Amino acid sequence: MAGATAERSELVPDGALGSAISFVIEWFPLVIVTALWELASGWAVAESILPPPSVVLVRTFDMLATGSVLPELLLSVYRVAWGLGLSIAVGVLLGIGMARSDSVENFFEVFLAMLYPIPKTALVPLALLWFGRGTQTAVLIIFLACLLPIILNSYNAARTVDQNLIWSAQMMGTSDRKILWKIVIPDTIPEIVTGIRQAIPIAFIALTGAELIGATDGMGAIIRSAGQLGIYPRMFAAIVLISAMAFIALRGFDRLERRVFVWT
Amino acid sequence: MDGHVVVSNLEKVYQSGASQTKAIEDLSFEAAAGEFLSVVGPSGCGKSTLLYLVAGFLERTQGTISIDDVEVEGPGTDRGVVFQDYALFPWRTVMGNVKYGLEESGVGDEEAEATAQRYIDMMDLDGFEDTYPKELSGGMKQRVALARTLAYDPKILLMDEPFGALDQPLREALQDHLIDIWSDLEKTVLFITHDVEEAVYLSERVMIMTRHPGTKKSILDIDLDRSLDREAIVTSDAFADLKNEVWRSLREETEPEVSL
Repeated sequence: MAGATAERSELVPDGALGSAISFVIEWFPLVIVTALWELASGWAVAESILPPPSVVLVRTFDMLATGSVLPELLLSVYRVAWGLGLSIAVGVLLGIGMARSDSVENFFEVFLAMLYPIPKTALVPLALLWFGRGTQTAVLIIFLACLLPIILNSYNAARTVDQNLIWSAQMMGTSDRKILWKIVIPDTIPEIVTGIRQAIPIAFIALTGAELIGATDGMGAIIRSAGQLGIYPRMFAAIVLISAMAFIALRGFDRLERRVFVWT
Repeated sequence: MDGHVVVSNLEKVYQSGASQTKAIEDLSFEAAAGEFLSVVGPSGCGKSTLLYLVAGFLERTQGTISIDDVEVEGPGTDRGVVFQDYALFPWRTVMGNVKYGLEESGVGDEEAEATAQRYIDMMDLDGFEDTYPKELSGGMKQRVALARTLAYDPKILLMDEPFGALDQPLREALQDHLIDIWSDLEKTVLFITHDVEEAVYLSERVMIMTRHPGTKKSILDIDLDRSLDREAIVTSDAFADLKNEVWRSLREETEPEVSL
């Protein structure tokens, strides 16, 4: 990726024209694949089981324009926000706690090692038993799925905090208790940010999985019901919208990060 | 003037599992208040360990370290440390870094900023107050680190090869800057280096350490006319003689290592 970017920047002129060209280069592969899909549909594959992108796109804009999909979309965003938010709050504390205290690490290590290989959507039936169909189940699954990348990144960062930073602060009168807030947490922020960036797509994967099985509303439920009823354009439109949400969330997060953490 | 350092019968053993490594053995010396004392020695002689013991970062195995007759028990604001890798807080601006120690001592924000500004100016960093460390060059980072340490006014500066990562012209400029400041601020300096010329140029006395385990080999008085400029000093015979004496003494310690 980095290599490709470097090559590209040599070929592309600076300024508005350059960014327009970069935009085209970035999206050109998608255009090709979409065009192939358009050709394949109705020719290589029956249109009834693979609706062409033109139909899917019209359907997507239609769902947005009439506003019929908006409550479902907002509900899914709401679930992702809660699940991701909780996993950040808990994951950062747990990651740093485990890195700084042997007993905390010892206690939680076994649970995390057990949780790690489980596909989190496999827990949906259990969550349904506890919370029923709906938001709580989805939030729990998203929370569990996002927890590990956030814990791992903050754990590794807090383990490797530069000892000289801690010593410098102690020399200037910072007590051991305050070292956590004044040095360890700020120093781990770049890695916490990396963990959140890894967790964002995972959150949407978990959301879709949880809603597919464990919800009667939200984007995942649309995919399921449209699939069962055989309304494939609607099903594809819901998939496109989930993908778009995840993409916007990731891009938005990167922008926010560059603005807030200018020092990284 | 305060800042009298007394080290006596110091011993430091690193314990790692069943194996023990003696880094420092039976080391005693004093640094008078306001003195500039350099410590040179072959690599692995424990000179950085010595500095970390005086700083209170490490616990000593035997012996005592006292500052103005008070024994060192951990880090404290009577000392300031400058590392080779600067150890600046990346999430704080130059101003934020320099006023950190003042904030921690409970000085009001306005006063902290005014004091920090004085040291920023002293280090020729004005105009960079709102810059983050990642945007600074190595020499500038080290000036910020020095300003940060000086700003909270410790009695003793502990410097661990502070200019070791910088190129020659920059190193010389910072050495001269340090001498200027030191003569005005009246602080005791304990300066760790492996650069003989640097040690002789900066110091009033140079302590040479033996090879592993480290202890004092000798202490040399550096009697140079400080009213002269750098060129006059470094080209003088007196400077060359002192440099050669330290170099020879150090050479005796490193010789066994360099058999090829």
